[in-house]
Amino acid sequence: MKKYKALSFFILPGIIFYILFFIFPTISALGLSFTDWNGLSPDYNFVGFKNYKLLLTDDPIFIKSVSNNLKYMFSVVVFQTLISLVFAILLAKNTKLNVFYRAVLFLPTIISSVSVAFVWIFVYEPSIGSLNAVLSALGLDFLIKSWLGDKNIAIYSLAFVQVWAHAGQVMIIFIAGLHAIPKSLYEVARIEGATKWQTFRNVTWPLLAPSATIVIAYTTLQSFKAFDLILATTDGGPSYATEILSLFLYHEAFNNFKFGYSSAIAVVFMLIIAVITIVQFRLLKSNKVNY
Amino acid sequence: MIRKNTETDVTMENIKPININERISRQVPLVAYTLLILLPLTLVFFASFKTLKQLYNDPLGIPEKWSILNYIRLFANENMLIYFKNSFFVTFTSVFFILLLGSMISYAIIRMPNVVGNILFGFVTLGMMVPTQVKMIPTYVLLSDLNLLNKHSGLILVTIATLIPICVFILTGFMKTLPKGLLEAAMIDGASHWQVYSKIVIPLSLPAIASTAIFSFVITWNDLLHPLLFIKSSSLKTLPLALLQFQGEYLTDYPMIFAGVVAASIPMIIIYIFFQRWFIQGMTAGSMKG
Amino acid sequence: MKKFRFFSALLAVLLVLSLVVVGCAPKEEPKGDTAKDEKVTLRFAHWRGEDRDAFNEIAKKFTAENPNITIEQDISNSQQYQTKIQAEVRAQGGPDIFTAMPGAVFAGLLTTQVFYELNGEDFISRVPDQLLLPGQDGDKQYAIPYQLVFNIPVFNKAILEEIGYTEDKLPKDWAGFLEMAEKIKAKGITPIIFDSEIGPGQFINPMLMNNMPEDDTLSKVETGETKLTDEWFVKTLEQFKELNDKGYFQKDVLGTKKAGAAALFAQGKGALLAQGSYMMATNKEANPDLKQGLYAPITVPADKMKYEGIHTATFMIGLNKNSKNLEAAKKFMEFLFRPEIAADYAKATGQMLTIKDVKYESEELAAQTTWLDKKTLFQPRYTLKITEVSKATLDAVTDVIGGMSPEDAAQKAQAEVERALKNK
Repeated sequence: MKKYKALSFFILPGIIFYILFFIFPTISALGLSFTDWNGLSPDYNFVGFKNYKLLLTDDPIFIKSVSNNLKYMFSVVVFQTLISLVFAILLAKNTKLNVFYRAVLFLPTIISSVSVAFVWIFVYEPSIGSLNAVLSALGLDFLIKSWLGDKNIAIYSLAFVQVWAHAGQVMIIFIAGLHAIPKSLYEVARIEGATKWQTFRNVTWPLLAPSATIVIAYTTLQSFKAFDLILATTDGGPSYATEILSLFLYHEAFNNFKFGYSSAIAVVFMLIIAVITIVQFRLLKSNKVNY
Repeated sequence: MIRKNTETDVTMENIKPININERISRQVPLVAYTLLILLPLTLVFFASFKTLKQLYNDPLGIPEKWSILNYIRLFANENMLIYFKNSFFVTFTSVFFILLLGSMISYAIIRMPNVVGNILFGFVTLGMMVPTQVKMIPTYVLLSDLNLLNKHSGLILVTIATLIPICVFILTGFMKTLPKGLLEAAMIDGASHWQVYSKIVIPLSLPAIASTAIFSFVITWNDLLHPLLFIKSSSLKTLPLALLQFQGEYLTDYPMIFAGVVAASIPMIIIYIFFQRWFIQGMTAGSMKG
Repeated sequence: MKKFRFFSALLAVLLVLSLVVVGCAPKEEPKGDTAKDEKVTLRFAHWRGEDRDAFNEIAKKFTAENPNITIEQDISNSQQYQTKIQAEVRAQGGPDIFTAMPGAVFAGLLTTQVFYELNGEDFISRVPDQLLLPGQDGDKQYAIPYQLVFNIPVFNKAILEEIGYTEDKLPKDWAGFLEMAEKIKAKGITPIIFDSEIGPGQFINPMLMNNMPEDDTLSKVETGETKLTDEWFVKTLEQFKELNDKGYFQKDVLGTKKAGAAALFAQGKGALLAQGSYMMATNKEANPDLKQGLYAPITVPADKMKYEGIHTATFMIGLNKNSKNLEAAKKFMEFLFRPEIAADYAKATGQMLTIKDVKYESEELAAQTTWLDKKTLFQPRYTLKITEVSKATLDAVTDVIGGMSPEDAAQKAQAEVERALKNK
């Protein structure tokens, strides 16, 4: 028992800041979900579960936002994980060229999401933008789309930008994971005459599982909480086609002056994330080695 | 641009020699993806050398003349150096404490009995699920009550608290893969927790710490929301906040913003290159474990 | 021994942290009363990044006159401004001088009760009475609009003159407007450049002004006296559809952002830019050869025309009644509303102002002054006090452009309005 006591000194400094500057404001925000506060006036009333009832039973935009969230999350998680994994494997070796490639892939992460939004507004812009111009020059006119204007495409156009901006970032986790795999295991595989695929299947992949868990969980949260990029490109439009929960609760709090309602959205938002995370950990557990 | 010592380079995938065809098939996706990354960024780079008029008339083309006027305006006119200094101070201080406090919590989590560790892990990483937008106003009120508004310290404290969850999340995952026996053996030999933490766990976790460091640097450096809320005096503003001034209601000075974006990216590129080196060390350390 | 090391490490951490907290940023906000010789820094928060230099110049002049007062601008873009101001007033730490948009935003800010009541200040009289209205609540004046904007399309004179439409011959009825648009289209030029970012919120105003039976028909939607499914609104949506179906907008309206639209107009690829007078200075900067005017399509037969255009008094300036430097802030506000200072601002920013007797020099502002004498309606969208209602009307326009039938779009919008009213 004594040896655990010493550990509390490792926990306390960080946890105190975390509780004071994170948990405490969060809880006070959540308390507001039972009120009708408009975010501005000095006083407000306690309304019980009214906000929750309204949100869950009579808000079409809430349903729309959740479905947009899921579309966005699934496309980002699948593509970001695959792309970052493939490139991590291709670039794991520390050759000069690979180090250069890694830096290039990381570049978009360095720029803030607001700047990324500026860039892609220019790329997607139908008349003066570059994407359609490039497609047209390549003779691929049939691919020309209204990237941010088409209700059915816009959310995926944004998911693409998200992957573009962050695949290089999570690739780093995969590379760190690859580097942590003992070299001797590859020696063994080589001596036993394993094919490349067998080596990947039996050595790399199982030992990469902890990194994969981190990447998938991180990407899920990151895409579910996406905000700046969408705010700066479409602001949820056209016709709520790219409105996701974070944006929805922001609009309710700061445009529609319904802070109490917005807090209720936040609570539901966190519950959804919690469910997704738990399901995900369950699913990934089957993949796990010595975690 | 990037110097690397190739001597320590260790082949970690299959050691079989790679034939020419394979090399080419490796390069194709890499080159394609590199272009996908670089082309839009080139637009930004070019735009930072244009006037607004040139940008509007020819958004995609190469600048007629490579005028560095935007950069001169950026650094001459503004308190840009002060903003850089502020950003450096806030970012470095925050990241230092995020890594220190976060790695300490992660260490405690892996050394505790499973149940307690998992509860603690859950409690801390819960923070990753909270949408920042919802706690903005209460955080603001809290800082106001503590008289920490319009001070770098207030901004730093909130940043640390906000990023500890991500840091703990990534580091704990990696630290859990460390051989437990090694740590136990050190304890039996009389090492304190602090010694195990600083002499064994930290060196072995360097690649993970390097990735977490890069994550935290990038997030803090680019953070707009917290400085926007907590900083008022222009002498205390950070870079992203300062760049907002070029964004107008109807007229946004894109070339200036882009020049600012390019200038603001350079320190992060340097930091990235610096931490990138740790991967190699980490790799060597990692191979000791086997 | 081990434990001791532990404590020392912990202590070191806490020490450094407390140093961070206490030591590193000793800058305090200016405090105390505005004694005559005490230095005061006023914080002026607004969202117009393009006006930064202009306000800096004005602030310098002001400090020359009042050596103990300096002005610090705190600029964010309009979206972030809203967030910031909301957090600040909540903690009673708002800026000394701040700005608000008319309509729903102003209505929301009013509930904070932080506006200083300006009724007693004599500089109010420098603004015409009807332009003071947007900043009033009952008979109290809480903010004063600074800018005067005409929210109607800007046109490219050269293009219209080429097909025979000089300024005095611009069509004054819907049939004539469609005829002109057809002629422009035949020249291979886009008749109307319409973006999805600010376009709907701007263009809906002139489209509504003559279709509404009364001036306040739109605002009555909020009381349930009128409905968006009524003839006047459906007709407006049908006219949007007509313009869209006939190809009078550029390709992919919904994907076009405000900057893209402005770039197209500056490049001479469109005859009308469906934004507002505030774009004239910007356009001029992007293309110095451009000759521009203002013109709104008339959606009815010539004899039914009530209004020629739309005006908005916006960028409303108010004072924070909790400010520790209220007197100094009042001085700065008075300074801003002096005609000669306003003229400086107008010259530097290309914006027209609400203040009487301001001399405008530039060609673009001269073009706008002629509109002062025309019959214009205050922007209907800003008569709405509920954001959801305002958004529903704009979404209807977007839906129609996206292919929904005007009837369906109107019904959907009305349903949103009713939801908002029910939950108010």
